[in-house]
Amino acid sequence: MKREKIILYLALAITGFTAFKAASTLFHATEGKISFRSDAPLELIKASSNSLAGIIDTSKNTFSFKVAISSFEGFNSRTQREHFNENYMQTEKYPDASFKGKIIEDLDLSKDGTASVRAKGILNIHGVDNERIIKADLTVKNKVITLRSNFVVLLSDHNIPIPKVVYQKLANEIKVEVNTTLQPR
Amino acid sequence: MRLIPLTLLAILLTSAALPQDTLDIDKILDEEMNQKKDKTELVEATFKTSRIIHGHSIENTAKGILDFKISHRFGTLNNGFYQLFGLDNATMRMGLDYGITNRLMIGWGRSTYQKQYDGFLKYRILRQANGVKAMPISLSFMAAMFFATDTSSLRNNYNIPTGVKMNTSDKLSYAYQLIIARKFSTDFSMQIMPTLVHSNVVPYSTDPNDLFSIGIGGRLKLTKRVSINAEYYYNIPGRKLEKMAGEELHNPLSFGFDIETGGHVFQLHFTNSRGMTERQFITETPGSWGKGDIHFGFNVSRVFQIGKRKS
Repeated sequence: MKREKIILYLALAITGFTAFKAASTLFHATEGKISFRSDAPLELIKASSNSLAGIIDTSKNTFSFKVAISSFEGFNSRTQREHFNENYMQTEKYPDASFKGKIIEDLDLSKDGTASVRAKGILNIHGVDNERIIKADLTVKNKVITLRSNFVVLLSDHNIPIPKVVYQKLANEIKVEVNTTLQPR
Repeated sequence: MRLIPLTLLAILLTSAALPQDTLDIDKILDEEMNQKKDKTELVEATFKTSRIIHGHSIENTAKGILDFKISHRFGTLNNGFYQLFGLDNATMRMGLDYGITNRLMIGWGRSTYQKQYDGFLKYRILRQANGVKAMPISLSFMAAMFFATDTSSLRNNYNIPTGVKMNTSDKLSYAYQLIIARKFSTDFSMQIMPTLVHSNVVPYSTDPNDLFSIGIGGRLKLTKRVSINAEYYYNIPGRKLEKMAGEELHNPLSFGFDIETGGHVFQLHFTNSRGMTERQFITETPGSWGKGDIHFGFNVSRVFQIGKRKS
């Protein structure tokens, strides 16, 4: 009887430890806002999406972010949004853009504070992977992570060609801004 | 004895706990995103513009957008080299399409052929959609009115002698059309257009005034910005005009390319039709593909944002 008890308690203890540890390491984005702008000599184009989804695993400092391209709104006309999806992003073929990887700095995201970090991972847009190190500002307060980041995406890095006819209206350098809150899952 | 089931229980518990270490956050994220997808997505851009070749496509001009259209039809290729294969004889239509709401559009135009003014309204009744509230097809209704002012052309076509005075109603005709369309894939769309053309005056007393036809049209995308289009209207026997000004009338058949760049859509095509509006091209096409009565033509469409921008 004593041997059986030991085994049972040991099993429960292991279950208890691992379950307890796993419960608090995932944070998911609740208000994921991502926007971009193209600042070309003859035209300024702005669009944004409130459907940025993301998860950060604070035990391993890994992250995974995704956004549906069809969720971007704004633009200068409905036709321009149609062209964005049909001709440039080919949204039916590549419905999402994603960024997955690991935070370089060794942080303890369970403690309150602010930090400037570098996120290293694969940025996938229009079906093309690009390894990037993107800087972000993380603020942790009361178990809520606020993430802000500004970075540049080159259309040429993701196989999105700009036709000569519109080269003064569409910039190759797209400025992206991410503003999201993550909460424990 | 009790050791075996207890060990099994122990293994079960620990094995249930262990996989937590190999969390696949990508999979968890995908699951989360799929759960959020409870919306309905409208299918967009079934065709590149509001016309396939001559006839209407299921597409409407968006709210607040003004679409300036210029259409040219040259003479027939069998006119030979002297007429530069028809290039010397051109007819033209200038038109303006405007989106009143996202479902209702209005258009006006004037054709040099028969000096005809036209106006139409097109309303989107059903829109193809994927998702929760799925709809397999798009359905639109189009109503148009035509006012031809070139009386000598009308007299010639409708056998009205010069002595007889022509009333305003003699110059009017109407078209009503249902457009049923489906975007089958990113590259392929098709539509069917049952059409009624009512002409107040017809060439012979034996001709009906209500002319029925069924149109079929489609497009196949070749590249991101180029597509090949085709359009055919079958005039229903017994409900069509047979002859006009001594020429036998045929069903209109047209083939073309759509090229889209920025705010323009260029459509280049070959057709046996002379006119560019429903009464002219559906019910009064004297040309025959077999005889080489093929016209080269093009449409240019330029969109402008007039109304207030969204958000």
